Amino acid sequence: MKRIILSLVLLISAKALSQNTSIAIGEKLTYSASYVMSGLLTDLAEVTMETSEVNTSKSKLMKLKCTAATYTKWDSFFKIRDLYESYVSPSSLTPYLYNRDINEGGYNKFMKYKFDHKTNTVASLKRKLKKDGSTVEEKKTVKIGNATRDLVTTLYYIRNMEIHKAKIGDNQNFTIIFDNKEMVINVKYLGKETLNSVLGKTECYKLAISLKNSDVLKGNNDNLIWLSADANKIPIYAKFKIAVGSGELKLKRASGMLN
Amino acid sequence: MRHALLILGFIAAVLAVVLAVTPLSQMSFIPAVVALIAGIFAFYMDKDRSKKAVQLIFILTILSISLATYKGVFSSAEVGNTEELKQKEQQLENESIDELEDLDTEGLEIE
Repeated sequence: MKRIILSLVLLISAKALSQNTSIAIGEKLTYSASYVMSGLLTDLAEVTMETSEVNTSKSKLMKLKCTAATYTKWDSFFKIRDLYESYVSPSSLTPYLYNRDINEGGYNKFMKYKFDHKTNTVASLKRKLKKDGSTVEEKKTVKIGNATRDLVTTLYYIRNMEIHKAKIGDNQNFTIIFDNKEMVINVKYLGKETLNSVLGKTECYKLAISLKNSDVLKGNNDNLIWLSADANKIPIYAKFKIAVGSGELKLKRASGMLN
Repeated sequence: MRHALLILGFIAAVLAVVLAVTPLSQMSFIPAVVALIAGIFAFYMDKDRSKKAVQLIFILTILSISLATYKGVFSSAEVGNTEELKQKEQQLENESIDELEDLDTEGLEIE
């Protein structure tokens, strides 16, 4: 009997944990991305994170979209038009389809992942534009873990964590699939801080993000993200350090929040 | 020494002007200050000699600082043409809906 009650409690808590309580359909967050050049912070691009509803004949899904576009003055030097999107379950944020279409200074690449949660596999399609104008396609089936998500879904999933229950120093690992490889992202809670933002003085959760077994993100606790310490957990500000420099993302506009 | 300062000042002033016309205009202040300091030192080192080179450094420096300040004050950061991106996004959404129809999305809310 005890076992049955325990299993029931675990099942209910697991279900409650997997429920989306922070992200609304129709939410739009706009950021200004800056990059440090010779010690000066220069505005480089606008990044947007947007959610919308997508209906198929069988189901209702949530589309999580992230775009990055350079400001006009940079377009003739290094034009960036990146699109990352993921189609997820509106309640559990389980990903079903992921698209990544990047155009960075003439470098074009497209990635598509179709998630099969029954077999724990991802059917991936990679399309690259070659210099002569032709495209190269590569299809692959990648075995993944049952908690593996794409990059966009993970960003939103972090917002859905119960950070208010975390203690300073607590950390959690998330497995993501990127470029057909599984990677582990570690998110560490560093405490609360109050920041000035477009939303006024905002109390935030400060999180440090690191990538295990990868040198893409540099430094120790140098890649930070501040999420508003409310039910929406909006990313207010982010600082990153990569091999070729460092930069930041600052919230410019926010609309359509759930709470 | 005066010659070295004039050369340094001239190179820094030219660099400041070049940077001021590019999107990196904010960075032009660094060589502009270097050019200004080099120019001032060169000016006071030998007051009796010709000032034409120093004047040229000052003119270039003032030009770069004015241009960088103007760009900093009046040009706002605007996103370029994203029409192509929007079209691509729409096309991808249509393709994705077709593919999602075939995918096993069991357990999802039914419309």
